[in-house]
Amino acid sequence: MEKFDVIVVGAGPGGYPAAIRAAQLGAKTALIEREVLGGTCLNWGCIPTKLLLAGAEFYHEVRHADRLGLQTEGARPDYAKLWQRKNEVVEQLRNGIRTLLKSNGVTAIKGTASFLTPRRLAVQREREPLVLEAERIILATGSRSIRPRLFPASSRILDSRAFLDQDRMPAALLIVGGGIIGCEFACLAARLGVTVTLVEMLPDILAILDADVRREVRRTMERQLGIRLRCGAPIEEVREERDRVRCRIGDEWLDAEQVLVAVGRTPVTEGLGLDRIGLSLLPSGHIETDCYLRTRHASIFAIGDLIPGPQLAHRATAEGLTAAWNATQRHPESRPTLIPSAIFTAPEVGTVGLTEEEAKQRGQAIRVGKFPFAALGKALAIGRADGFVKWIADAGTGQLLGAQAVGPAASDLIAEAAVAIQGEWTAAEFGRVVHAHPTLAEAWMEAAHVLEGRPVHIPGEKKTR
Amino acid sequence: MAQFLVMPKFGQTSEEATLVKWRVKEGDTVRKGDVVFEIETDKATMEVESFFEGMLLKIIVPEGETVPVQSPVAILGQPGEAIPDPATWPKPEASSAPASTPPPLASAAAPAPPQTSPPPTPERRPTPATAPATSPPPPSPSAPTRLAASPRARALARSAALDIRRIPGSGPGGRIVEKDVRAYMEQHGVDRIRITPAAKQKAIREGIHLLDLRPSGADGRIVVADVDRALAERPKPLSRMRQVIAERLTRSATTIPHFYVTVAVDMTDLLAFRNALKAAGHSYTVTAFILEAVALTLREMPAFNSVTDGRTAQWRGAIHLGMAVSLEQGLVVPVIRDADRLTLAELSDAIQALVTKARQGRLTPDEMTGSTFTVSNMGMLNVDHFTAIINPGETAILAVASTRPAPVVRDGRVVVREMMNLTLSSDHRMVDGAQAAAFVNAVKAKLEDVTLWKSLT
Repeated sequence: MEKFDVIVVGAGPGGYPAAIRAAQLGAKTALIEREVLGGTCLNWGCIPTKLLLAGAEFYHEVRHADRLGLQTEGARPDYAKLWQRKNEVVEQLRNGIRTLLKSNGVTAIKGTASFLTPRRLAVQREREPLVLEAERIILATGSRSIRPRLFPASSRILDSRAFLDQDRMPAALLIVGGGIIGCEFACLAARLGVTVTLVEMLPDILAILDADVRREVRRTMERQLGIRLRCGAPIEEVREERDRVRCRIGDEWLDAEQVLVAVGRTPVTEGLGLDRIGLSLLPSGHIETDCYLRTRHASIFAIGDLIPGPQLAHRATAEGLTAAWNATQRHPESRPTLIPSAIFTAPEVGTVGLTEEEAKQRGQAIRVGKFPFAALGKALAIGRADGFVKWIADAGTGQLLGAQAVGPAASDLIAEAAVAIQGEWTAAEFGRVVHAHPTLAEAWMEAAHVLEGRPVHIPGEKKTR
Repeated sequence: MAQFLVMPKFGQTSEEATLVKWRVKEGDTVRKGDVVFEIETDKATMEVESFFEGMLLKIIVPEGETVPVQSPVAILGQPGEAIPDPATWPKPEASSAPASTPPPLASAAAPAPPQTSPPPTPERRPTPATAPATSPPPPSPSAPTRLAASPRARALARSAALDIRRIPGSGPGGRIVEKDVRAYMEQHGVDRIRITPAAKQKAIREGIHLLDLRPSGADGRIVVADVDRALAERPKPLSRMRQVIAERLTRSATTIPHFYVTVAVDMTDLLAFRNALKAAGHSYTVTAFILEAVALTLREMPAFNSVTDGRTAQWRGAIHLGMAVSLEQGLVVPVIRDADRLTLAELSDAIQALVTKARQGRLTPDEMTGSTFTVSNMGMLNVDHFTAIINPGETAILAVASTRPAPVVRDGRVVVREMMNLTLSSDHRMVDGAQAAAFVNAVKAKLEDVTLWKSLT
């Protein structure tokens, strides 16, 4: 039986960085994965969708290039080729991870791990099974799509993974769930010319965002991309017919060639044998940890989608690094708490920290500084003047507590806001940082000036004498 | 002519009150009957209406300050009218007719242990002219001690989040000049202290001395959490409610010779009976049974319904039971008047009504004074046993612990029964151990006697 200092179970965006970091910190480390390196993020999530989106967005730009003064004709998407490129790049990145693991001295094992004791794991694999022992075990098995029982087994009813694994797009797609995944797929498919209907049970899509940001996304999705949004009522009945799927909401029947179910994701814990080591799950199916990511067994850590919190690859990565540190070092570090999100809808959304909605619920006194891209030279130049950025700051000290961006490159722009918030900057301090002109990032500076009550590039409140 | 708004006098017992909130600003126009400020006393929170009209010329008492009743708190007059010389301001004792009346109002905070209606202690203070020593007014931010410092020195200290009072002055009479601040910064390496912009801003706003902050951020930076910690460590005045609890219970614990007697009561039969009643549609709380048993016992042993100051004993005919109710902000003791004259059902209703009012903060001062004996029930708080401090003005208090299954010996065999500990705290000047033992056993006997309860329900 081979012994390790640290074993990481799951090689997704949480697990493989955890293994690399543990090895860098001097631990003899093994990484167990039952499928492929990179997890959902690389294989069926963030990366493949962005690869497809790159083509879809470009196609959309080309089709609407006349507003920039260009005549383009005859452009049409070749989804099979887009899909092929996606597979090639994903393969390239998987190989990259393999190289990284090897160069850091991590032992990668393909198989399914299951606890025998809190320190011992059985690994089932194609070859003879293994039993491994480790001082510390980091669980990073991630999550999978939920499929409500309402939806029968059918080749026309897919989750996001199956949808990305097919080399074609349907002519008409019905998406169930108006969360981040549902909205991103809706925008992707619509830009490739698919007729998209999106159904959300809640009164609006993207419930985690402030209302003004939601409104912006909703407007573009409906008016520019022609996506039909059907909010506020659940699907009650699903029927599969020979050439289509029919879903009933109240008295209305919605038809589509395919249905994409994106109503949420649930932690993957089956087969880990958690009951054998007395590790019970929260009612939500998550594993409970302390702020150091330790489970009730102090030698076992859990990270990413396995534990409560936003289901984001970069959160899992950050937690993986923290867990690797805490599994190997004497002075533990707390899990990171400031987690930005990037939403690849049309337009993109970036958000980090406190929202206006949360501040209202907490009764916290805040100031809001908003700056529209329509007032920014660069945004107008590139023909992408929709949306805005906004700061949420403490009313007393001016401390920047939250930021949201909706508009061009919002997913990249949010990084600067995250740095400022993590560094506990104030609006006054940020407003003094010179931003290069003409850039989209200037919007943050302008919005900080708005917070200070002295905006230069939008009309101020009229001074009465 | 300028008029003074004064801190109203309410009831016979309150000597001072805290001005919690101003509802108007200097320069606002006030009409007769307008609510001008809110106060908090040991009894309740109240809104105070103006008896005059005019413009609020000056606020004398800032929010958060405690002053004796009848003290002037603000000046009302015509716009542009001169503010009278402070020397001519009325003193609390000089003030005559009520200038304003407090309508009793939803009391957010209500008082702690009850007060006896007839003053039990002869040395009780009369309504004082000055703030009593027991609760000094909290330091007022608006009136710091005068400190000589140059404006430049002040501005520099402030911009560096330094408390100017901590900086030694070199000018005439210890006046602090800019050079002193620079020397202080040099000496303490202020330039090398790393602090996030937001943390610095907060320290300046809250007046926290930079050197009092201990960094916890990455690479030794002072972060907002460190400022918050320093803020939390600042001494803050106790709430009025806690001050009253502190004053009364310290007096009791230090002047009354307490002794304690405990009995274990077998509640099994009573609980079964209570469940049977409940099944039949009559719901009584356990507290109701205990208070009833206490009221009946007090009638038999009036020594426990009395009070002494060490020289005289005063027996009281009426049985008014105080019932301690814990709230988030502290403790209140609503009083059930003439508890011995109520049927069990009436008693149960009265308990429910008072507990509900207490939780909602709606108890009136009358409902919180005049108890002659108090019961403190921690049965729902999962405790085996505890002792209580006697409310000043009473002779004993009964502490009720949780009821739970326990092994006990019955007829020479160990059986499991629902057991509850009762502990009586008594004033040894008034009663002795034998009487206390008799009292608790009388209560116990009643609680264990189901035939008694059958006759009472």
